[in-house]
Amino acid sequence: MTGEFRSRFRTLTDGSDAPPDADHHIFIGPQHPWAEEPAHFIIHVKGERVVEADIRIGFNLRGIEKAMENKTWRQNTMLVPRACGICSAVHQNIYVRVVDRLAGVEDQISERARLIRMFSLEAERVHSHILWYGILAHDAGFDTMLHISWRDREIIMDIVEDFSGNRVNPALMLPGGVKRDIPKEKADKARPMLDELEKKVLYHKKVFTEEASIRNRLEDVGVLTKDDAKKTTPNGPTGRGSGLPFDIRKSYPYELYDKIDWNLVYYTEGDILATTMVRIDETLESIQMCKQILDRLESTQGELLARVKPRIPEGSYMSRAEAPRGEDIHFGIANGTDTPERYKIRAPSLGNIDATLKRMDGEYIADMPVILRSYDPCFSCTNRVMIINEKTGEKMILNQDDFARKAIKAKKYNRSFF
Amino acid sequence: MKKVLVMGGEALKNQAKGPVTKHVLKRIGDHPPPEDIRTIPRIIEDRCIMCGTCVNVCPTHCIEIEKDDKDNGMIWLQRAQCMWCGHCQTYCPKDAIHIDREPALSNSLFSFNNRQDYEMICAKGSFKGEKADKKLAELIDEGGKKLKYLEEFRG
Amino acid sequence: MSAELKELEGILNVTLPEKLIEDIVKVEEGHFNVHSTVKNAYELMKILHEEAGVYHLSTISGIEKEKEFNICYHLQHRIEEEFREIPINFFVTKVDKGNPKTPSMIDFFVSADYYEREIYDFFGIYFESHPFLQRLILPERWPDDVRPLRKEYGWEQIKEITLDIAKKALEED
Repeated sequence: MTGEFRSRFRTLTDGSDAPPDADHHIFIGPQHPWAEEPAHFIIHVKGERVVEADIRIGFNLRGIEKAMENKTWRQNTMLVPRACGICSAVHQNIYVRVVDRLAGVEDQISERARLIRMFSLEAERVHSHILWYGILAHDAGFDTMLHISWRDREIIMDIVEDFSGNRVNPALMLPGGVKRDIPKEKADKARPMLDELEKKVLYHKKVFTEEASIRNRLEDVGVLTKDDAKKTTPNGPTGRGSGLPFDIRKSYPYELYDKIDWNLVYYTEGDILATTMVRIDETLESIQMCKQILDRLESTQGELLARVKPRIPEGSYMSRAEAPRGEDIHFGIANGTDTPERYKIRAPSLGNIDATLKRMDGEYIADMPVILRSYDPCFSCTNRVMIINEKTGEKMILNQDDFARKAIKAKKYNRSFF
Repeated sequence: MKKVLVMGGEALKNQAKGPVTKHVLKRIGDHPPPEDIRTIPRIIEDRCIMCGTCVNVCPTHCIEIEKDDKDNGMIWLQRAQCMWCGHCQTYCPKDAIHIDREPALSNSLFSFNNRQDYEMICAKGSFKGEKADKKLAELIDEGGKKLKYLEEFRG
Repeated sequence: MSAELKELEGILNVTLPEKLIEDIVKVEEGHFNVHSTVKNAYELMKILHEEAGVYHLSTISGIEKEKEFNICYHLQHRIEEEFREIPINFFVTKVDKGNPKTPSMIDFFVSADYYEREIYDFFGIYFESHPFLQRLILPERWPDDVRPLRKEYGWEQIKEITLDIAKKALEED
């Protein structure tokens, strides 16, 4: 297996250990206008075609796992969603399920609390997917789509904001249940908005399937066959675009996903268009599920929050969920005190890198932005593990914007950041 | 199946509309922040029993407490460090904390003024009044010193 | 153990030799913990991969215990016809703390590469026969002998090291 994936084991990044038939070496990143987040890609090309590609990660280390060992289980509920900027609810959901299980309160969580959790997850999937295919269109040079999809994304953001008080970090979940209720007035307000969004997404789907200028950029580009997919084990929409019909909501149901009507979306073509269509169809499916959940909420009553003691009894549990980007997996070990013994987080982007590098083989350089975007890279969660480089990290943030400056301000007083 | 100019209609419509940005000021009025927006915590002094639960559950350590043996004490908040999560409200045993819903706060938080960074959110008994004011002045002073040190370190 | 072993064998449709397995725990319906020692782990993984056809490795986590290290391979057995997954947590136990060494599973899973290098970074566990066991996530200037996720390094200590690195980096500039 190691011979087949030789690109993984090249030592030098200056091209001196390059594959023999490559004549040029292109370096993308860590800071590059294409990428919003830092990663270093090395692409060896012969003429216009890619021979081999490699990636270096680790430019954005934050130390969440170590920080979690130094905080209590209760405090960690608010630290965990910070593992990722976009899919924060999913991280929090897995965390609270791990704690529920370890504390033994799994059965006490009411149906209403579970439905509210699910609404939060599905709304997040909708806005994450719309964001992604907007950027994909932008990378393919079709900026009209970017503007229109991001304009329509505001509808779901407004709903999330209305329900939770925050735009992208709803943080509704707590061990034992949820923090806030979704009252009937709010649900009634959200229903027509969801209908409107559904129409808009159907229009987006029409554009992606019919418009020639975007289809030509995506069709038959970066094909990942099913056999390759089995070897490189992509997860989430990347795998479902290549004919691996695995969605954790179906394959290992959590919350109430087995009690709600929805269809598993998967395509077998394996090109970028297929992964795009998976995401668009999933968006429609999620909007449909959101409506169903709101309907069910009307007839369900129940306690929102069950009591969980601060000390969690000894034990370990592995839990997974389907994040918008793929399979998200947490492994928690409790030792009987109020802090975790060990907590491991694996965010989906890291699992998809292999498959994306495989996609690049033999493709044109001009298709690189689209292929690199295809797995929805999110390096803040890929490199979530280690230590913040306080000095250089601060310097870099300083140049950005007011909001980042606020973070520095919090540090001025030499208090622990986490 | 492939066509060109699928988005032509949309493009023409937007062309006729003119720039969206000119409506922005009007829109902000149409779109007030949600009622349930979360900001920093407030404490109802009569209910507070100075148990320190809010200090223990706070993920960012932005709440601090000083108290004597009785139920007297003071709690202060580092506003810039608070991430508005509302944990203190959830776990307060006496329901003494509520989360403020003042969206204008977000402006003041970015002001880079150390005086606004610290806030005495609760002072009870003998800590009320002079003692609390003194502590607040001390905190602001200390904050200024640390700020200076960090700027020197950064160069 | 034998009841759980039978159930797992039924699901995977293979026979797992009992001498290779230390313990099997059923966490919940269709979710197993399999414990195996360093000596037998490679052989058992070979059976799981080649005969049972387990091809999906989700991640690997390192666990520090009092006297030994454990490594947990989070595998998924995928049944495509039923759209179903069986999570199997494959624990490699009895990894010596003084000289931590364990066989690399890169022969079976490509994705094991990144995860094993991550464990090497954070715990200093050597994966034998891994072709490219190099730093993946820690910064370039990080001292080689500091393995940050081990319990001997406290949060304050790690912060000090980070600050030192930052100071050195500034001086070099």
